[in-house]
Amino acid sequence: MKYVFRVLFILVLVLMFIAVGCKSKTKSKDMLVYGTTESVTDLDPAEAYDFHTWEILYNVYEGLMTYKPGTAELQKGLAESYSINDKGDKYTFKLKEGIKFTDGTLFTAESVKWSIDRVMRLESDPGWLVTDFVESVDVVDKYKVRFNLKQPCGFFLKLVATVPYYPVNPNVFPADKIVTNPSELKGGKLTGLGAYQMMSFKRDEEILLKANPNYYGKTNIDRIVINYFKDPTTMRLAFEKGELDLVYKQLNPNDIDDLLKKDEYNSYKIPSPFIRFLCFETSESVMKNKKARQAVAAMIDREEICKKVFINQAKPLYSMVPIGMFSHKDYFKTEIGNANIEFANKRLKELGYSKNNPLEFELWYTPSHYGDTEVNMAEVLKNQIEKSELIKVVPKSAEWSTYLDNFDRKNMAAFLLGWYPDYIDPDNYTAAFAGTTGSAGQGIYFSDPQYDKLFMEEKTSVDQEKRKEIFEKIQKLWTEDVPTAPIFQGSLFVFTKENITGVKIGTAMTFYYKELKYK
Amino acid sequence: MKRILKYFTIRLLLTIPMIFILLTLIFFVLRVMPADPVKSMLGAHAPERVIEQKRKELGLDKPILAQYVDYLKQLARFDLGKSMIMEQKVITPIKDKLPATLELIIFGLIIALVLGVFLGAYGANNRGTGKDTTIRLYGLIVFCIPAYWMGLMLQLIFGIWFDWLPIAGRTSSRVLVAEFNNTGFYLIDTLIAGNIPAFLDVLAHLVLPALTLALILSGIFVRLTRANMLDVLNNDYILAARARGISEKKVVYKHALKNTMVPILTMLGMQFALLIANAVLTESTFSWPGMANLLVKRIHLRDYPTVQAIIILIAVMVSLSSLIVDLVYAWIDPRVEY
Repeated sequence: MKYVFRVLFILVLVLMFIAVGCKSKTKSKDMLVYGTTESVTDLDPAEAYDFHTWEILYNVYEGLMTYKPGTAELQKGLAESYSINDKGDKYTFKLKEGIKFTDGTLFTAESVKWSIDRVMRLESDPGWLVTDFVESVDVVDKYKVRFNLKQPCGFFLKLVATVPYYPVNPNVFPADKIVTNPSELKGGKLTGLGAYQMMSFKRDEEILLKANPNYYGKTNIDRIVINYFKDPTTMRLAFEKGELDLVYKQLNPNDIDDLLKKDEYNSYKIPSPFIRFLCFETSESVMKNKKARQAVAAMIDREEICKKVFINQAKPLYSMVPIGMFSHKDYFKTEIGNANIEFANKRLKELGYSKNNPLEFELWYTPSHYGDTEVNMAEVLKNQIEKSELIKVVPKSAEWSTYLDNFDRKNMAAFLLGWYPDYIDPDNYTAAFAGTTGSAGQGIYFSDPQYDKLFMEEKTSVDQEKRKEIFEKIQKLWTEDVPTAPIFQGSLFVFTKENITGVKIGTAMTFYYKELKYK
Repeated sequence: MKRILKYFTIRLLLTIPMIFILLTLIFFVLRVMPADPVKSMLGAHAPERVIEQKRKELGLDKPILAQYVDYLKQLARFDLGKSMIMEQKVITPIKDKLPATLELIIFGLIIALVLGVFLGAYGANNRGTGKDTTIRLYGLIVFCIPAYWMGLMLQLIFGIWFDWLPIAGRTSSRVLVAEFNNTGFYLIDTLIAGNIPAFLDVLAHLVLPALTLALILSGIFVRLTRANMLDVLNNDYILAARARGISEKKVVYKHALKNTMVPILTMLGMQFALLIANAVLTESTFSWPGMANLLVKRIHLRDYPTVQAIIILIAVMVSLSSLIVDLVYAWIDPRVEY
């Protein structure tokens, strides 16, 4: 017995010491290791509906339209050219010829039609990006495909640049089943027409991408390894230890602040299309009166939130349309104001509230879905709103799945929400929250025929000037009805080692790994 | 042998009602919790028609008792069901994550046993001395420390201050799992692949999380071994052994230690549940991609079938470990009869 224990003890010690001394230091320039705290959902363009999975799919697949790296400018991808009929409800794309999937299957108009039909048939979560707009797809000839829309659409090209529109290989993907893991595919690998192919996938641990030999363009780094971390601080430490070449999404504000001060890393600050805002349940709750909503919106001190909670890494936002996007107007600043206690009290007094009879409501937040800063943000917001003696806030929290359920229960009078757009257009930042259908889906239940009419007009117009006017009008109206109150617009930070360049992330969060290179 | 077989069969049969009660409890608790798994799966955008269709497909439109009966029927066919969140069978993510947890638990248990039993025996042998007091104090302190705090301290000391060991994950970022992943037990996989640098890297990653689990459990073993050893050392046969001139070391570590092992083994079986509970916290602290992390994630997403399957599996593991311990008694102590 003694012998057994001695041997075991020595063995464990020896192995530990060897292990301590043998940390992997292998580095090569044909491989880049990228760390993130994000996670992958379903690796199927018909089902994926989150920015990280989309980011991977941007690199494994390609759309008929894509974004110019690092910009919000649309450019032709697999399409060689396109034409739109006068009414704006038929989009015809001429495809690039001679492009092949990795198994040798030729990319044709049939592949596009098959992929779109598959999305429409599966009716999955992001499927509405197709089904709400597309009536049918026609193969005009081998390399020409036509999208027949349900009605004219002013931003259809932006939709075509989204992942559900990406053509997949009909010989590899099942026609009527969603793919969660590439091992379910014929060949066991996720391959498309993009710059990289996924060689292996270990959920929550590692993804290995390798340059696609059939890609019509050029890649600079042969292998991209994505490492998944549960904790941002651990990721930061791994980066500082040299294990990672690049870190992106989502470091804590304090970690970002520290890394920004270090000269040995390249840092990139990217304006994010991500916005945060306070929503109100407008149909049944204490917030059904628009004056109450206006009062609460007026009490928000956006600058303090950005400074205290996000160490100035976010920008105060005074419209639901993000800064830099066409039609953006700071109407919440000019019409309601920032931390405007006089405005708030005036509105509340009009409703009969007083010190002894304050407006009392629950402020809901979800503690982990938007990161570790959410609890602080809710606390700061509560204190700001309660600066008016006529308001009393009761903070409440629920995990994301319960939060979603609460949308139906209508039991959250005010709740914090965030939005990563589906497509980069003001429509996606407004109709989803003030249109009758979209609003109900987000737990707001705002409904006003005037808004619905305006949304219909902007959606069906291909005249961008006219659309701009409509969105400016909508933003002005928003300050009167306040279905939501914008708070801030996020920024994204990417850190790389000094010898890595080519980080170009566009407003649509398109991060093309093919642009990355070693100096 | 016949007796052992009978005992084994009875014990195995007794686990069935235990698991049945447990799965019934879990089934109903999950369903009375707020949040809708269909909404979690389809998101806020999904049309009501699609949500209803999915609810029907998953059987969630039926009364809760009908759902329960369906679930039992499904289990009777040895089918754990399909995940409600992802388009996959629940067994797929479990198969993927179980090896990571087992690797951590087994390694942690070995260290805990070696450390706990050795220190306990050493303390008993040096009863009343400063060494004994230090060991007793150690046993008390490590047992009281929460797993996450212990993990954080080990990360801080060995991972950050000394920079000796990795603090998270199962491999370094530059060690590609794709090059050796086979069984999911990375220590074995790397050896099969003959990839010694990767093996050492995996081992290095295992040290701190396993040590976190081990230190906490070792506290129990230290106290238990010491107490039992003191009892054993007062027995007549120990006195006789000493009288025969056998060296003190041999008396303590050969004759006495073996006789303290029965209660230690009992405790080992009982501690398995505690080990799993601590593994949940350890996996979170060390970003260890195992079952515990999967369980927490799926609870948040209200993925009923996966949560149920994981809990059943843990219950089976705890029952089996206790059964195995009972069987090992006979080997350790021939006086034990079944």
